[in-house]
Amino acid sequence: MDKFSRRNFLSAGLLLGASSVFAKETTKTLVNKIPEFILPVVTFPEKKPMKTISDRPALLASNRGRELFTEAITPNDQFFVRWHLPDMPTYIDLNEFRLEVKGSVTTPLSLSVDDLKSKFEPTEITAVLQCGGNSRKYYAVTGQATHGVQWDHDAMGCAVWKGVRLKDLLAHAGVKNSAKWVGLNGLEKPAMEETPDFFREMEIKEALEDQIIVAYSMNGEDLPYLNGFPLRLVIPGHFSDSWVKMLSEIMVMDEYRPSFFMDVAYTVPDNDCECVVSGSDFEYKRKPIAAMKVKSVIGYPLPESAIKKGSRIKIAGVAFDQGKGIKEVMISLDSGKSWSAAKLGEDHGKFAFRPWSYDWEPKTKGDYTIMVRAINRIGNIQPMPDEIGWNAGGYQYNAVDHVNVKIV
Amino acid sequence: MKKKLLLASLLLSTSALFAQVSKPIEMPYVEYPMIKGDHDEVAQQYCLICHSWGYVLNQGKKSRPYWKGTVQKMVNEFKAPIQKEDQQTIINYLVKHYGYEATSEH
Repeated sequence: MDKFSRRNFLSAGLLLGASSVFAKETTKTLVNKIPEFILPVVTFPEKKPMKTISDRPALLASNRGRELFTEAITPNDQFFVRWHLPDMPTYIDLNEFRLEVKGSVTTPLSLSVDDLKSKFEPTEITAVLQCGGNSRKYYAVTGQATHGVQWDHDAMGCAVWKGVRLKDLLAHAGVKNSAKWVGLNGLEKPAMEETPDFFREMEIKEALEDQIIVAYSMNGEDLPYLNGFPLRLVIPGHFSDSWVKMLSEIMVMDEYRPSFFMDVAYTVPDNDCECVVSGSDFEYKRKPIAAMKVKSVIGYPLPESAIKKGSRIKIAGVAFDQGKGIKEVMISLDSGKSWSAAKLGEDHGKFAFRPWSYDWEPKTKGDYTIMVRAINRIGNIQPMPDEIGWNAGGYQYNAVDHVNVKIV
Repeated sequence: MKKKLLLASLLLSTSALFAQVSKPIEMPYVEYPMIKGDHDEVAQQYCLICHSWGYVLNQGKKSRPYWKGTVQKMVNEFKAPIQKEDQQTIINYLVKHYGYEATSEH
């Protein structure tokens, strides 16, 4: 690392609560400092205690923090939660519930969850569910703080999803030749009628891809209500904004329907780097976020841990991408000067978390910065934190992760 | 607030961790602290229609243009029924207690 990026790293440490020895150098970034508000930790239905950013709409992250990301599969009761509208049904009677497939189809369908389970071929896929704003707060470390929920690396998880292929449902309904778009809607409702509904759209050719499923099971169980019981759309490799929860309507359409949640929210600059100068406003041509970017997160050790000299520890975490598959994960123990390969763990498929680990026996006391960097099979590599392109919505953060520890 | 949270987690811990739900789930209520004064009741009246105060706390201290833009987004995009005068009251309250006046970063 050159001097400049090293200094950014030091200020990163400052913002995250490390020593203030370098305060004079970093007054510029201190403006961005987020005041400490200790999040309430509350037990929600079907969940273990979760950090509660908001109870309504529910924005929840596991209280285990990074530690959750040492394993390939995230348990349902610790899986993050992000709703958009305040009115989420708290009871769904499966005798009444129907998924409607309608619009530009020859035979509109009205299907119960039992119909989905008994009349269509089941399929299973292990896939990462990641909010477009995951890790958003780290944009504030090297640039301007961005709009939106200031998530840590905790708005993500990986589960085994089981359900029915979307293309099978569409084939059953008979998509008309004129159809170009598929609209998706769930049961969450705004507080006022005038508020735009959380409505998502995808092009028909994308909707017909093999791996997209309407899931009725998550890690072998019903989905928790907070994760979208009874049905959720699963779009492996894509950010989760269109993984509609409590999915109740699939509307086949001839024309695109403009909507706030497609055209304004969850968008990035429509240029090659999908970025603008840090601090710019939203005055740019936009496109929806879609495929995820190669990313890795350190699950262990936790930041600011004190580790006894000579102890043998296993640095561990997960890596993933848009579905090309992880080729290599590299670890640095000297703030990015040198890198060595981590050991890749069990492969749960190209859309899943790929666990990785690195055995370390620190022999010298002092402060260390552990960094991790992943490369996928088509050569996409994570940018360094001072290299990442900035966007005003704070989407798609995927810079190299780091954890500071002290060897004592 | 602490007491309420503790109670909420006690009540709910017994029913948590079951996959099958046969009756309505009970969503806990979290009372996020709001700084009193400067017409906090106006912010309370309108902002909390659609979202908890947690959304505001999560943003950290923000500039006047930021809070102005946010309130305008609520009105223009999400159709919050807030009159011009009340919008200004909410912006002033947010800037005073959850932000700073400077229009540019120092």
